[in-house]
Amino acid sequence: MAFDPAILVQYWPLFLQGAWLTIQISVQAFLLGYTLGIAVALLGLMPGRLPRLAAASYVEVLRAIPFIIILFVIYYGLPFSGLRLPAPLVGTVALGLFASAYYAEIVRAGILALPRGQFESARAIGMSPLQAMRHIVGPQVARAIVPPSTNMTLTMIKESAVLSSITVPELTYQGLVVQGNTFAPFEVFAAVTLIYWGITLAVAGAAHRLERRLGVAQARSVSRNRLAASYLLLERESAR
Amino acid sequence: MTIPALKVSGLTKRFRGVTALDSIYLDVARGEVVTLIGPSGCGKSTLLRCLTWLEEPDDGFIEVGGRPFGRAVVGQVVHRQTRREIDALRPKIGLVFQNLNLWPHLSALENVARGPVVVLGRKRAAVEAQARTLLARLGLERQMDKHPHELSGGQRQRVAIARTLAMEPELILFDEPTSALDPELVGEVLGLLREIAATGMTMLVVTHEIGFAGGVADRIAFMDQGRIVETGPARAVLDNPTDPRLRAFLGRVLPSSPRVTA
Repeated sequence: MAFDPAILVQYWPLFLQGAWLTIQISVQAFLLGYTLGIAVALLGLMPGRLPRLAAASYVEVLRAIPFIIILFVIYYGLPFSGLRLPAPLVGTVALGLFASAYYAEIVRAGILALPRGQFESARAIGMSPLQAMRHIVGPQVARAIVPPSTNMTLTMIKESAVLSSITVPELTYQGLVVQGNTFAPFEVFAAVTLIYWGITLAVAGAAHRLERRLGVAQARSVSRNRLAASYLLLERESAR
Repeated sequence: MTIPALKVSGLTKRFRGVTALDSIYLDVARGEVVTLIGPSGCGKSTLLRCLTWLEEPDDGFIEVGGRPFGRAVVGQVVHRQTRREIDALRPKIGLVFQNLNLWPHLSALENVARGPVVVLGRKRAAVEAQARTLLARLGLERQMDKHPHELSGGQRQRVAIARTLAMEPELILFDEPTSALDPELVGEVLGLLREIAATGMTMLVVTHEIGFAGGVADRIAFMDQGRIVETGPARAVLDNPTDPRLRAFLGRVLPSSPRVTA
């Protein structure tokens, strides 16, 4: 038995379609998940026990269930309430919900790590809680939460493979289809692996650039400080 | 009778059964400088936090320039103001925090300008021009584009004060403005407070600097265990304290004065 690249040459449109759908689903689930995550994080930080309890339960429930079960419960549960939705839509929503619980915890931890006085000084001059978040807390938290958010996003992209089990024709599903036609699992899944790797590599690279860009403002202000700059220069000198 | 800049009546705050503020009454007239002194833990900082509604008082009323803040009596009913109503009055009460809480991701200029733009909805160009004038007046014309960590302690203090002044408050509350400073900067900041007082700004200053309290303040209020125990013209309070607790406190903080034991 030899590695047969002809299979890949013959079926590349299917891989391409699958990859494209995986990317689309990931982007949509990310947007949905992060929006929900921020909302749940802010809910959890509101004064009063009820909103905090609601946010905590949301996170606890979604984190306690394996993703495939979340997916099955929604996909097979919705028809009971008379709602029949296309599998890709259900899968995307389920993926977004799953990720939102983790995003919520990342955002919440990021905000809690900031000294409370930052929020209070914004509130004291009359900013609303949302204005304080937007102008004072958010920009300071953003950089810190990029690395953990990237982790979660990569996990989520890989979890999207599970959507193949409810017939969403994403990358893994197409891989299974090609495998069924060719009986060449190694060739197929080697190709699928490379494509997933490419996607996650692109996301990680973008995240890294974002992190650097958010850090540039800080770095620039440090290098403008002559004392700090001299220390940084010394470090660079000794590193050589 | 003119309307006082600040009128506090029956202000009470409890933390889990511990009474931090016990029915505080305090009026501050327009242009008056009042210093609040007292042993640590007596409730001075809690009072300032309640006056800005960062801490919600359990009882009592606050009026700023004649307008009720936080709670109002409408007819016979005490009406708790909405968050929006409270936020709308907050710019009128400036608070300079003990640890300043400058925004590290913004330049000095932006620390000052962001409030009027976001909260008061002013035009950015006009606000920036005003902020530049303000910072220049405070001697920071060359520091405007620097971030807080590039500034010295005294400069940071000036930015914090400028940030508060930019909101055009009716009064400013200072929470121990000299406690976070190196000793040689204390004089500089006290001089600055004197300058601001000279412009006619109404000020309520929590301080440990009895010298400042005596030299600049029109009035001194002495707090102990959540109550204002004694209040009066600055010199009178310092020279002829009547309350034994105030005498004991002054005995501890003024080494030159005769030691009085409680």
